[in-house]
Amino acid sequence: MGRYFLKRFVYSLFTILLISSVTFLMMHSIPGGPFTRERAVPDEILKVLNAKYNLDDPLIVQFLNYMGGVLTFDLGPSFSKVGTSVNDLITSGFPSTATVGAWAVLSIILVGIPLGVISALKQGSSIDYSVMLLATFGVTVPSFVIATLIIYFFAGQLGWIPPFGLSTPQSYIGPVVALSGYSLSFVSRLTRSSMLEVLRQDYIRTARANGLSEFSVIMKHAVKNALIPVVTYLGPTIAAIMTGSFVVERIFAIPGIGRYFVESVSNRDYTTIMGVTILYAAFYVMMVLLVDIIYALVDPRIRFEKESKN
Amino acid sequence: MAPLLEVKHLETSFFTHVGEIEAVRDVSFTLEHGQVLGIVGESGSGKSVSALSIMGLIESPGKIKGGKVLFEGKEISSLNNGQMSEIRGNEISMIFQEPMTSLNPVYTIENQMVEVIRRHQKINSKDATKLAIDMLKLVGIPEPAKRIKSYPHEFSGGMRQRVMIATALSCGPKLLIADEPTTALDVTIQAQILELMNDLKNRVNTSIIIITHDLGVIAEVCDHIVVMYGGKIMEKGTEKDIFYDPLHPYTVGLQKSIPKIHKGERARLVPIKGSPPDLLHPPKGCPFAARCPHAMQICLERAPPTYRVSPTHTSACWLLDKNAPKTEGYRTGEAIDG
Amino acid sequence: MPPGPERFVRLEEQENTANAETTRPSLTYWQDAWRRLKNHKPAIAGLVGVVLIILFAVFGPLFVRESYSDQNLDFSNLPPTLAIFELAPDYYVFRTEDYKVLRIGGDGEILYRLPRTTQDPIKKLYTYSDGDQDIVLDFSYNLLPGKMDSPFDYSFVYQGNEITAPAKTVLNKNYPFGTDVVGRNLLVRVMYGARISLTVAFVASLVNLLIGVAYGSISGYEGGRIDIIMMRFVDLLNSIPLVLYVILIMVVFGNRGLNTMIIALGSVYWVTMARLVRGQILALKEQEFVLSARALGVPRSQIIFRHLVPNAMGPIIVSMTMMIPSAVFTESFISFIGLGVSAPMASWGTLANDALTGLLSYPYQLLFPSLAIAFTMLSFNMLGDGLRDALDPRLRKG
Repeated sequence: MGRYFLKRFVYSLFTILLISSVTFLMMHSIPGGPFTRERAVPDEILKVLNAKYNLDDPLIVQFLNYMGGVLTFDLGPSFSKVGTSVNDLITSGFPSTATVGAWAVLSIILVGIPLGVISALKQGSSIDYSVMLLATFGVTVPSFVIATLIIYFFAGQLGWIPPFGLSTPQSYIGPVVALSGYSLSFVSRLTRSSMLEVLRQDYIRTARANGLSEFSVIMKHAVKNALIPVVTYLGPTIAAIMTGSFVVERIFAIPGIGRYFVESVSNRDYTTIMGVTILYAAFYVMMVLLVDIIYALVDPRIRFEKESKN
Repeated sequence: MAPLLEVKHLETSFFTHVGEIEAVRDVSFTLEHGQVLGIVGESGSGKSVSALSIMGLIESPGKIKGGKVLFEGKEISSLNNGQMSEIRGNEISMIFQEPMTSLNPVYTIENQMVEVIRRHQKINSKDATKLAIDMLKLVGIPEPAKRIKSYPHEFSGGMRQRVMIATALSCGPKLLIADEPTTALDVTIQAQILELMNDLKNRVNTSIIIITHDLGVIAEVCDHIVVMYGGKIMEKGTEKDIFYDPLHPYTVGLQKSIPKIHKGERARLVPIKGSPPDLLHPPKGCPFAARCPHAMQICLERAPPTYRVSPTHTSACWLLDKNAPKTEGYRTGEAIDG
Repeated sequence: MPPGPERFVRLEEQENTANAETTRPSLTYWQDAWRRLKNHKPAIAGLVGVVLIILFAVFGPLFVRESYSDQNLDFSNLPPTLAIFELAPDYYVFRTEDYKVLRIGGDGEILYRLPRTTQDPIKKLYTYSDGDQDIVLDFSYNLLPGKMDSPFDYSFVYQGNEITAPAKTVLNKNYPFGTDVVGRNLLVRVMYGARISLTVAFVASLVNLLIGVAYGSISGYEGGRIDIIMMRFVDLLNSIPLVLYVILIMVVFGNRGLNTMIIALGSVYWVTMARLVRGQILALKEQEFVLSARALGVPRSQIIFRHLVPNAMGPIIVSMTMMIPSAVFTESFISFIGLGVSAPMASWGTLANDALTGLLSYPYQLLFPSLAIAFTMLSFNMLGDGLRDALDPRLRKG
């Protein structure tokens, strides 16, 4: 068991390093340097800039320097914001991104899963239909549309929430709903179908035949099994929510990592693009690892398989 | 003393989007204390649905339309789910066909058994674990104290069925319903499980209903037999009645269609031609008429009444009517209903 | 009443069994699937939706005169419904949010813009002329002292009459979806957007399909070490947030053309398909018909593509149907952050992005591209769900 996780952990680290290398190489294969602009920059200035950021070193030296930085959590200076390092940008953006993301994840788990369970238990009822209608809406409408609709109606027409920023508690509602909408809907649909599948299983009939209370049949025997596929989906989703926040951050003008990322894409701030990509990827890989661990803890069959493999 | 279980005119239907499927139609039988009753029939004959109806485990879109179930003289078919769950696993237990999937994969055997025991008995979890280990020992699981910590997937099918039986018997039920307990198992394991049930029948004072499509299983353990077909009871009697004096063409057909391995005997296997009736639109006459070698005009028109030929033996077949043409192996009985 | 003896007549064997046997016509896999799909109402609705979108994208532009890039600044930011003022009998005008005044036909046809002759921003009086007649727009109400309590916001003065309320609301006949900030016809933009979004989605899905099927079937068929190495690579790709890589590829390529988008989407999202195909092939290759083909010396590539892949077609089609809407989704996402197809072409995501700046004044500009995306997603998802039910062999009943 322990060995398996250690192996998985080392494998994840290796993945992150590989992703960092690929990202580095991709960014350095862009024709023209980071200081290529529509208006030509004088050669002398370019030379100074290149020397300042060590861009005149051979690629392999740059690569080793950068990877050394990644290993020591130093993502280098920002190319467009003079005097600011990528670490500074991430540090200043992280609180907003993390807070909105955490609320979104919480609402997915605390709203999406119960909705799916209730919907499955009341299959065919009007509750079921309304939940599924809402969930279908959620998975067919892109987050930027949800976000703009929220701004238009709740900020513009009704004036209930501020249209941008994170100044008041209410201002979290819009970003959190927009960010979690798709996954929340998906999770409730997934939970519902998984729950329906589990409720048909023989062991549920056994639990009933053994006279267990309906509460125990549902909450203990059905829900835990039904959550196995949901957990598998949740890991990458949580990572994607944290990383996919750039659209929502852009619309609601939230000073988070995602907004810096979008800005850096349009400013050709290559170090920031690289840094944020690597950060996102690392987070994603770690979430996948975490889910694998939870998965093995929830489902003894997986644990068994992995123990016997190692 | 009232009989242990009385099923009276039970009718269960499934209301699907294509229409009403009449799975159980007017089924009545009685089980005395200490008896082992076998319900035999092919799939779709309504035998499992009857058992689930007794347990109060019919799920939507299924519904008990009529009749009642009396347990020790007390009507249990009118109880709500909460009241019924006090009886299930406590006074009436049930085990199922699929031992591979009938245990919850994410909990240990201990967890699942202790939960059932503590649901019905006021004992602490330590005593419950002890009881569970004793039950596992009773059903022949080696090293029960160690194995109880295992998860279901670490057991073989036969072992899982033993766990199921141990759980079902852990609260000392008066009645155990076993729905095809051996069907999913290898032949050698089947024999072991049947031997176990035979043994338990004598050791714990539990009446048993065994539901099966396998006459061989019935012959080994049952003293009374109910033969079902198309949602109805065709014939009812003691083991001797059914095996040595079958009075329904369906029972006769069933016996001809199973292989006999006796010294020097080489009987041909005779399959029953055709397929069971569509219970979405059940025939208005006898359900077996379409496949019956002795079918008569009346069989298509009216469902036969039940004829009694001895105090223990009844059969629902028009051949037993006084007006029926003489047929070899059949004799006239006294109509007791319909 | 007990039955009489005459009813106890033996039946002939044929007479009896004739009414018992039910025969069903034998159907091929695809006939059966089609039969099941036809009974699945949401799937048929989805199929109709998909056909409608494709017709809209392919034939829609043929029915309009303008192209997606034709601008008319006179008619910028016009909504799909116009609240028009009747200044004289059958003389209608419309005032835009930016105080242009347009002459409108009674049926909603936009005729021409009235030139503004004088403007007095202090008193908030604008004068427009139509031939020899002057129209005065007074929007001082609710703004200037003394008129603060007025129940309306502005009024027209025409030939001495003051008109304060719109006579009626008509549908915009020239621009059913309205126009954007430079006066381009949004209906046409959405039609061409459909072409771009769907082309990207279809081609990217096709690329995914080809790579995924080839990769998955080789990995599954070869098995052993090759399979392990190939699947490790898939696992690796799977542990990367793919949308980031699409963005990176878009950044690296620099040019924002259709091809770049297709390459970006197609090169990344095939992993799901590869896994699915591998699983199918692994299950299928153990079957007898593959053994017999091998025994007959059928070459490997032929076994894979003639025998194995066609048998895995059901799940592949289902997965493909689900891939198209997610490609539309991703494309719109990428376009929305400004990395999409460049102007003047526009995908639905780009249109939604363009609408963002004027959202509070012109919400309809976001509405139509969003509706198009949502409608496409919904149609393909419903169709995909139905196909899964119809094609998934696990659910097939005898």
